[in-house]
Amino acid sequence: MFHENFQVGYFGCGVDPGGLVPCPGRGGAVRAPAARLDTQAETILAGAVWSRLTRLTRIGAPVAFLAPSLIFLLAFTYWPILHAFFLGFFRWNINTPNRVFAGLANYRELLLEPLFRQVLLNNIYYGLLAIPVAMAIALFLAIQVNKRFAGCTWYRTIFFYPTMIPMVAAAMIWVWMLNPGYGPVNYYLKMLGLPAPEWLYSMEWAMPAIIMVSLWKHIGYFMIIYLAGLQNIPDDLYEAAALEGAGPWVRFRVVTWPCLSPTTYFLFIIAIITTFQVFDQVYIMTQGGPANRTNVLVYYIYQNAFQFWDMGKASALTTVQIVLLFCLVWGASRVLRMRVHYQ
Amino acid sequence: MTSLGWRRSVGGWAVHLILAPIAVLMVAPLWWMAITSIKPRQEVFSPIPQWLPRFFHWQNFTEALSRAPFLVYLWNSVVITAGTLAGQLVLITLAAYALARLRFRGSEGLLYVFILQLLVPIQATFVPNYLTMHKLDLLDTRLAIILPFLASGYGTFLLCQTFKQIPQELEDAARIDGCGHLRFLWHVLLPLARPTLIAFGLISFVFRWNDYFWPLIVTDSPAVRPLPIGLGMFVQQESGADWNLLMAATVFVSAPLLLLFVVFQRFFTQGFLGSGLKG
Repeated sequence: MFHENFQVGYFGCGVDPGGLVPCPGRGGAVRAPAARLDTQAETILAGAVWSRLTRLTRIGAPVAFLAPSLIFLLAFTYWPILHAFFLGFFRWNINTPNRVFAGLANYRELLLEPLFRQVLLNNIYYGLLAIPVAMAIALFLAIQVNKRFAGCTWYRTIFFYPTMIPMVAAAMIWVWMLNPGYGPVNYYLKMLGLPAPEWLYSMEWAMPAIIMVSLWKHIGYFMIIYLAGLQNIPDDLYEAAALEGAGPWVRFRVVTWPCLSPTTYFLFIIAIITTFQVFDQVYIMTQGGPANRTNVLVYYIYQNAFQFWDMGKASALTTVQIVLLFCLVWGASRVLRMRVHYQ
Repeated sequence: MTSLGWRRSVGGWAVHLILAPIAVLMVAPLWWMAITSIKPRQEVFSPIPQWLPRFFHWQNFTEALSRAPFLVYLWNSVVITAGTLAGQLVLITLAAYALARLRFRGSEGLLYVFILQLLVPIQATFVPNYLTMHKLDLLDTRLAIILPFLASGYGTFLLCQTFKQIPQELEDAARIDGCGHLRFLWHVLLPLARPTLIAFGLISFVFRWNDYFWPLIVTDSPAVRPLPIGLGMFVQQESGADWNLLMAATVFVSAPLLLLFVVFQRFFTQGFLGSGLKG
């Protein structure tokens, strides 16, 4: 369609059609001596229209190409941030028609609420345990399956397949695996003489169980991203290191780890974001219990919004969540970016 | 056998010694799901875990399917995922083209607007988005599940990187031949960007298909709900006692993607591999 605009401008101004780049100014000047005055005016006018059109196309093309995405981005990603920030200042139960301006009341309430503190601590617990363990195991597995040996693609498939399973299904499978009476996990723990906790019913073990499901489901994805990073490391770096007589550990420290630092950086940021997305496992496995030991931020917002219908408080919580997320990602990238080594 | 060859074969065994137990741990849950789904009810509650099939109680599947409209859920999943993916591919192509190939002021800043979307998952904005859907009168429709995901910052970014690598001479040649933006995009850029499109398509497909959270928020009736929500509802309805039926339903919900994965395994791993950051 912009192409057609271009054509209209092209012929409209009566430039020599053989010319590659239409240039109305030049066309007008060349013709001027022989042309009558009104034709000249016409040419100038057409030229003006043409240049308006090209300018429109020049701005119009990016606008038209970007507009669909930008409209959706604004409507469902960026506007909601402002919307939540705005609604956080109101007392508003969705069942009552009027919302009442309440200033910082929602935030004050959150600060004074022990449950909110508990929820934040649960999230921190989840992040501190899940992120390093997931990344370490994923890196270890990626290095192992990156070696060329018979069966390495089998291992890749086996480690990766949980990514394909919906989290709900994964959660269901693990509820059954961890069933204290009939699940295999406790059967084998008892057989080995280890303590067999009540898992999802236990204050101490419910959160580790949730983390275990997340690890099982996400490690393969992390591994694949690490594998992509490993495959980008040029072989000659290893050869050079081997020539220097470097053993496997030194090779890892001097070549692998620095070359993987952009991947590690990327995965770390992704992992922080996923920590703030935990919901499905909690919803299916524990409903936040026992005694809110597995109640995490998203679940808590969900409870406030759709069980108590308190949209004001849910919006304030949303704002807190977004600010926390941005601060953590910003902080992490400030610390890490200096250490990232780009080839 | 030379000492080097000997060491290598020991090294080969060592890898299996390390990886095989981990592999067993990773597969065990899947196997436990599958085996439970074909056990008769009394077998399920055996005090010693039974890992091998002794009975093939296929009725579990027909019974689970008769107790909840899983085929409707399956159809909804297909419609929602296909709709989202189609919209995403069109939108990311247009946006990535503008960001990568058109010169205009502020294009770099705009790229950040796209990338920053990665930091704002739907779990961070579901309350205001729910209110938007409420206002648009779209609650409890499949469209409401699709809309927030149509613009993809990640996809736009990936495709933008690919488009940038395509040499300028190709574009100049196409321009001289009278190619407009859309024809150049369709006939030159898209065929060259096919691996990126496939990689993004697979990832998006997997994540949209498995999404639980957002459909749970905006839908209410089984007629529009996708498979994962169907499973969640089935769990609540059965109140978690008939493990053979629950696992049959879980198998049914997990099977479509797992089958695709097994059939197109190389395709999937390559797609996900290609999505990793380069350098």
